Amino acid sequence: MRGVTGAFHELDTTVAAIEDLKKKRLGDITVYSPTIRHELDHAIDAPVSVVRRFTLVGGLLGVSFGYWIAIWSSDYWPLVVGGKAFASWIPYTIIGFEVMVLVGALSTVAGMFINSRIPRLTTTTGYDARFSGGYFGIFIACDAAKADQAEALLLQHGAAEVRREA
Amino acid sequence: MASVVHPVREGIRGPNIASADVQLPAVRDYEQVDRDIIGTLGFTKKWFLGLSVAVLAMLIGVSAWIYQIYWGLGQAGYEPPVMWGNYIITFVFWVGIGHAGTLISAILYLFRAGFRTSIYRAAEAMTVFAVMTAGLFPIIHIGRPWKFFWLIPYPNWRLLWPNFKSPLVWDVFAISTYLTISTTFLFIGLIPDIAVLRDKETNPMRKRILSILSLGWRNSDREWRHFAKAYLFLAAFSTPLVLSVHSVVSFDFAMALTPGWHASIFPPYFVAGAIFSGFAMVWTIAIPMRKWFKLEHYITLNHLDATAKVVLFTSLVVGSAYMIEFFIAWYSSVRAEQEFFWNRVFGQWWWAAWIMLLCNMALPMSLWSQKLRRNPTWLFVLSLFINLGMWFERFVIVVPSLSHEFEPWQWGGYMVSWVDMAFLVGSFGWFFMWFLLFVKQLPVMAIAELKEIVAPRVKYAHHDQGIDTAGHHLPYGTATPGEDD
Repeated sequence: MRGVTGAFHELDTTVAAIEDLKKKRLGDITVYSPTIRHELDHAIDAPVSVVRRFTLVGGLLGVSFGYWIAIWSSDYWPLVVGGKAFASWIPYTIIGFEVMVLVGALSTVAGMFINSRIPRLTTTTGYDARFSGGYFGIFIACDAAKADQAEALLLQHGAAEVRREA
Repeated sequence: MASVVHPVREGIRGPNIASADVQLPAVRDYEQVDRDIIGTLGFTKKWFLGLSVAVLAMLIGVSAWIYQIYWGLGQAGYEPPVMWGNYIITFVFWVGIGHAGTLISAILYLFRAGFRTSIYRAAEAMTVFAVMTAGLFPIIHIGRPWKFFWLIPYPNWRLLWPNFKSPLVWDVFAISTYLTISTTFLFIGLIPDIAVLRDKETNPMRKRILSILSLGWRNSDREWRHFAKAYLFLAAFSTPLVLSVHSVVSFDFAMALTPGWHASIFPPYFVAGAIFSGFAMVWTIAIPMRKWFKLEHYITLNHLDATAKVVLFTSLVVGSAYMIEFFIAWYSSVRAEQEFFWNRVFGQWWWAAWIMLLCNMALPMSLWSQKLRRNPTWLFVLSLFINLGMWFERFVIVVPSLSHEFEPWQWGGYMVSWVDMAFLVGSFGWFFMWFLLFVKQLPVMAIAELKEIVAPRVKYAHHDQGIDTAGHHLPYGTATPGEDD
């Protein structure tokens, strides 16, 4: 992917650059940050993560399966235990709850992986090892015509280093 | 050239989740966090010595297991009517230890308790290894460990299914879910930190391994956005899970009609005890760790003080539960219950009950003193007493109850065998072996979350938000407690 990457050492200049880049509409922006910073979230203004839907669906599937396996197997081999009904919903709530947590949590992780596009074993254009350390990064996906403008804008905002990605 | 508007005045130090109410004044910038935490990964002679002791202890346990498999469960000191002994005691003990990790990482995360950040990674690892240890004991206890999978519901040629009304099957579900979720939670939190290690690594082979483990994490805004949401939901799932797991463990006892067991107070009593013992084990681990790894400026006296308050509170809850048990036995007018509780403190096992009361009720009262709450040496010593007291709490629950049931002709004794003790020693060896291996391979503190606390570097001073142009905190109005630790 072609574009321009800028490395920033300061948070405020990174935020200012993101806001300016969004106004100029030079291309899709990817922001790299060593940690979660709400200032960056607000500047990027991305939609709410859809991971929550995976959680909901996984949790519902889990609780359904938990109750179902307990009820079905009791019905399949009907034995009175402790004077309780074959399908005793109170003790089976424990099974339903545990399986809900198990499937719901694993679905959440699956949702995170799918939406974050990980695992990723190839290198990523625009990433720099410093972005997991002390630097913030901005990558703008754009063609050569807009690259000059993006490069100038990043430098203007105080980027410590700007490079073009072929 | 168009003029650039600088700086963004609002929200440069907006409240990040991890930073609420907690500052790390001696940590200056992101680079220092990387340097300090990655610096703990170097191997040392002391570490090798500790690992050797742990492996030796584990081998003692392994030898006892082989011996027991050959000679049978009779070697475990079981004698009617006491058919649950050290294995169940130690199982409940380790499950309890495992509770603090998820409490710190999940519940305190939801409550925005900032002091969790420096200690939660070690506590989470402790949880995983404690639950791994606990999980061994029911398998050891069944005598024929190779048949343990019979407890799992799976389609089989015998067309038999587990009894889902049995607390022992609930245990299987609760513990296996807890182990899976705790491990997942630990790994998800580790991904960004493994990426930091990957980016700093120079050894090609190690870099490749770290690249695979970090799943290609790139710190992009997309990744952080989904990560934050997933982490929040994992915490939300883990919170009731923590409460449910030890409640389910308590049902192993409370569902039986045995005197001293059949009490509705057991679930909250067990959960509070688990958190109490888990925090004590966090001290046992974290206090030497902060000293040996020179991390006193990350786990400050403020952090220890905050955890001490949790320990004090849970000690009061546990102490109240002990007292309520005695009260209910008296109030119920059930002769067997009254006899049992009299026997608990003045009978055959009086010494175990008094060790429990001393360690879990009396000694933690010292934490009313702020001076002692901020004394790492005392907290470490106290943690050892609490660990001891909580093991004896489970002893007091299991052995006196089974040895002193309704009918006097049923009463019996229990003698701990060398095999029992070897398993206990082995369990500590197994636990510490994993923990010591962990602390030298992966960051013992959450690098990415620590960076949330540290003020970011900024180009233009934001005096109204307490940071200078170098991104450092401006001097505080009052002396910051913990800074001079």
